[in-house]
Amino acid sequence: MNGIYTVKQVNSYIKNMFTQDFMLNRIYVKGEISNCKYHPSGHIYFSLKDESGTIACVMFAGSRAGLSFTLKNGQRVIAFGSVSVYERDGKYQLYAREIKLDGAGELYEKFEALKRELCEMGMFSDEYKQRIPAYVKTVGIVTAQNGAAVRDIINVAKRRNPYVQLILYPALVQGEGAVKSIIRGIRMLEQQGVDVMIVGRGGGSIEELWAFNEEEVARAIFECSVPVISAVGHETDVTIADFVADLRAPTPSAAAELAVYEIRECKKTMSAYEDRIVRAALSQIGLFRTKAERFSMRLKLLHPRHKLYEHRQFTAEMENRIRDIMERRLTQEKHRLALNAERMKRVSPLLKLSSGYSYIRSEEGKNIRSTAQVKRGEKLEIFVSDGKIEAEVHNTETMIHG
Amino acid sequence: MSEKKKENLEEMFKDLEELIGKMENEEITLEQTFDLYNNGMELLKKCNLSIDEVEKKVLVLDENGETDEF
Repeated sequence: MNGIYTVKQVNSYIKNMFTQDFMLNRIYVKGEISNCKYHPSGHIYFSLKDESGTIACVMFAGSRAGLSFTLKNGQRVIAFGSVSVYERDGKYQLYAREIKLDGAGELYEKFEALKRELCEMGMFSDEYKQRIPAYVKTVGIVTAQNGAAVRDIINVAKRRNPYVQLILYPALVQGEGAVKSIIRGIRMLEQQGVDVMIVGRGGGSIEELWAFNEEEVARAIFECSVPVISAVGHETDVTIADFVADLRAPTPSAAAELAVYEIRECKKTMSAYEDRIVRAALSQIGLFRTKAERFSMRLKLLHPRHKLYEHRQFTAEMENRIRDIMERRLTQEKHRLALNAERMKRVSPLLKLSSGYSYIRSEEGKNIRSTAQVKRGEKLEIFVSDGKIEAEVHNTETMIHG
Repeated sequence: MSEKKKENLEEMFKDLEELIGKMENEEITLEQTFDLYNNGMELLKKCNLSIDEVEKKVLVLDENGETDEF
């Protein structure tokens, strides 16, 4: 059977044709992204479409260097790569190596130029950044009334703290009049005296976010006396408003988290303060009580009764000591008396008289021991063992004893 | 302005912190302890008042500066 081919043969034949085609190997294709899928492997699958139809595209992980932004459905892009056949499906597709936003080039340059200019003027410098107050009562919001952004902000804010007052200025955030509307919102909320302001919108293309890249909006944010949190698009969308704002939030929800404090945390802080005050007061009172008790102890010790007892005891002791001393002294004296009586007995003159000696005394009562003491005719008294003799001197004669 | 500052939770928390620091660390008299205690409780009451625990409706500001419920 001539002229019959296998699928494989046909597919590889067609593939070969594509490969040999010079134009299909280096081609720029312009269209809108749809069916965009980021595969976990790092490959990106999407379609490019225009009014007439679509073409399947893939960007392999190895080519990701050619893509500097996040692909999203609806973006208008210019993809560079080659068109070839995927034999398994018998489908041709664009193997993209580089993808650029269509028409973004000009806007991007404008963005960079303005960013540079404002930066040189110092409008992004930290010294102009106002601190976001930790505990606000009112939050101003400049965003579209019907967007996802305002719903996100309200939901997060209510969940964190339903007592904070939110005031929305419904602004046009894209298209004609958006710049004026955003500026008016900032000024009016400033007049309302809100504590902090969230200025932003949900995600979108660079064109849709463009109002937040306009110098007038940047200046209005810069000049605002109320701290401004910018919340434009998604985390990856960066606008001039983000640079000039006092704080940049990656998303509107995040802005609400940064602006509105959690009431539960706040209450916890307050009850912790209360606990500490009560505990500190009790411990101070405790200290004073101990001090008072110590004083009371000391006072008790100093009571006059204690002195009285002391004196009384001292007196009693003294009395005892005196008594002791007296008694001892008495017995001592008694002994001495007895001793002396004994000695007296031994030297008593009566004893001498009884053994034949006598004692002679003059009339003046002097003991006569020598002849020289008496004169003739002098009267004397002589004591003997049983009485006295009165006598008269007849004569004296001195004798010298050998 | 000073009125507003007084009602600021952040300021009041700072004051509380200082007050408690005094109560916890410094040698103070019994009278000072009572004074500090009363001041602390008064501050906490003010904190609570400042929170104004009434659930707020979201307001929408119109061109004339008037507000209306969302």
